[in-house]
Amino acid sequence: MNIYLPIAEMSANLLLFIGMGASVGFLSGMFGVGGGFLMTPLLIFTGVPSAVAVGTEAAQIVASSVSGALAQWRRRNIDFKMGTILLAGGIVGSVFGVEAVKALRRAGQFDLFVILSYVTMLGVIGTLMMIESINAIRQAKSGVVIASRQRGQHNWVHRLPLKMRFHRSKLYISALPPLVLGVFVGFLAAIMGVGGGFIMVPAMIYLLKVPTNVVVGTSLFQITFVTAATTVLHATQNQTVDATLALLLIVGGVIGAQFGAIAGQRLRGEQLRFLLAGIVLLVALRLAWSLVVHPGELFSLTPLGRP
Amino acid sequence: MSTARLLHRGTFIALAVGVLTAGVLVGAALAQRPTPPQPPSGPSLPAPPTQITPPPPAPAQEVRPAEAPPLPREAVHADVSTRRIAVTSTFSGTGIIVFGAVDNSRQTSAESGLYDVVIVISGAPSRLVARKKSNVGGLWINTSSTTFTSVPSYYAISSTRPLDEIASDDVLKSSGIGFDFVPMTFHRSARNLTADEIREWRDAVVRLKRRDRLFQQDEYGVAFVGRSLFRSAFDMPATVTVGAFETRVYLFRDGELLSTYTTKLDLEREGLEQFIHRFAFDHPFFYGVFTVLIAVGAGMLASYVFNRNKA
Repeated sequence: MNIYLPIAEMSANLLLFIGMGASVGFLSGMFGVGGGFLMTPLLIFTGVPSAVAVGTEAAQIVASSVSGALAQWRRRNIDFKMGTILLAGGIVGSVFGVEAVKALRRAGQFDLFVILSYVTMLGVIGTLMMIESINAIRQAKSGVVIASRQRGQHNWVHRLPLKMRFHRSKLYISALPPLVLGVFVGFLAAIMGVGGGFIMVPAMIYLLKVPTNVVVGTSLFQITFVTAATTVLHATQNQTVDATLALLLIVGGVIGAQFGAIAGQRLRGEQLRFLLAGIVLLVALRLAWSLVVHPGELFSLTPLGRP
Repeated sequence: MSTARLLHRGTFIALAVGVLTAGVLVGAALAQRPTPPQPPSGPSLPAPPTQITPPPPAPAQEVRPAEAPPLPREAVHADVSTRRIAVTSTFSGTGIIVFGAVDNSRQTSAESGLYDVVIVISGAPSRLVARKKSNVGGLWINTSSTTFTSVPSYYAISSTRPLDEIASDDVLKSSGIGFDFVPMTFHRSARNLTADEIREWRDAVVRLKRRDRLFQQDEYGVAFVGRSLFRSAFDMPATVTVGAFETRVYLFRDGELLSTYTTKLDLEREGLEQFIHRFAFDHPFFYGVFTVLIAVGAGMLASYVFNRNKA
């Protein structure tokens, strides 16, 4: 059954997008990650204009993170003070990101920019995960456990000005690092159509030393509001949010995530990470390939202004 | 399940449903855009939006032998199968039949081949940017571009035989018939381009539009079904831009343009389709908020449904 997407201006099979939502939802349920970094490239592969893929994906992330954020809130796992600072930075980053998308589209370089950003990000993350999971699998086989690195009590983060007390996280640190982190993640959300949890979570744990139990809730809180703001900004500035497409991806995504979570409980952590690393690297290679191989048709047309 | 938890769950689902409803309501309220004023239609049937261009003046009356009275001049009339086509969410392209007749046909049968008919359907002109990639350090990157201020969004030609057999290039050019003569205007920034570059950009537009089936040609698409009646089928892909289309019918005999006829057809967005499109472009801020509310509602509803199953 075909459906016409009003903003992407293309006709495609209804089941294709629900299926894509379900597959990525399955993976994100299984691995416990947001699916933005897989969904945006997949949408681009199916022929959705890259700017529409990025704008619409922001809306889907709102749906997939809101329930998680609410669950964490009920368990009181959100540091609202830290979250608000991350969010303030995130909105600033998102405003800049949306303007950057606008300027790059006008210059005809947005496709290139998105693909290069994804190749870099997926390449780095995929490689790191691959190395880490191979090491973990080897250790599990040999039975040797390498002691995790002792964390220092103080690092450079603690020498910055504007110190604040974060009661929920039991921290007394400068407000600058979470603010900068928020700006960076908000910028990524706007230009790449990702939530940014894969950067925010490690940064909060290792850099800010936020207790693990508050990290997930606080980052989900930030992601929900930043992607919501990003959706509105993309809709206003670029008209690149396709509500029909978003709804199809959401429907597929919520169903897929339920089954993914069940499947994830039956697989071992390091094997899961190895599998995810493989998928991430494949997507990166496929994107890089599209830039290197002769495109066949050197010309392209972009409509300007609508009636 | 305790009363407190029940209450909690109740508020939760109420909240989810509330958010969804609010989204839909806000959307519906904002999409109520005043419709453009319709021209008043009188009690009688409105005249069809067509016009006949007067045929070229008949040659001055010569002194003819009395046994051969002057034959009346031919004229062409035509219409389309559907004047108004609705694009809905399930729109996957459409077919259109153009049919017409030659008045005062001197043909004895459909096979005589005395007349040539060319039908051109063109969509509303649109602005577009064409870009060209070249290899920069191993990567294929857009390096040059040119802007067109007017290119027909759709352009389909159907004829009784190949155009070069029907009329000379001069005749075709003056009527804008054929891919070589599609009316396109460059933005003034393109004034420094050489003739070859202009040719290259024009050809690229035609090639890409043909690939997307937005430009089409059928060299034997028009068939006579009698001594004066002819018809042709056209198809419009799902990606066609909505708007007003003009159908022009040209009647030729021996390379001479005898008569033309113009009729219009409209492609309109309808239903959910039109609602979303209008909403997104007329009220972008509220459309964004609406999309977010839908996403929040869907996310909360899903988590409620699946958590209940687990409990």
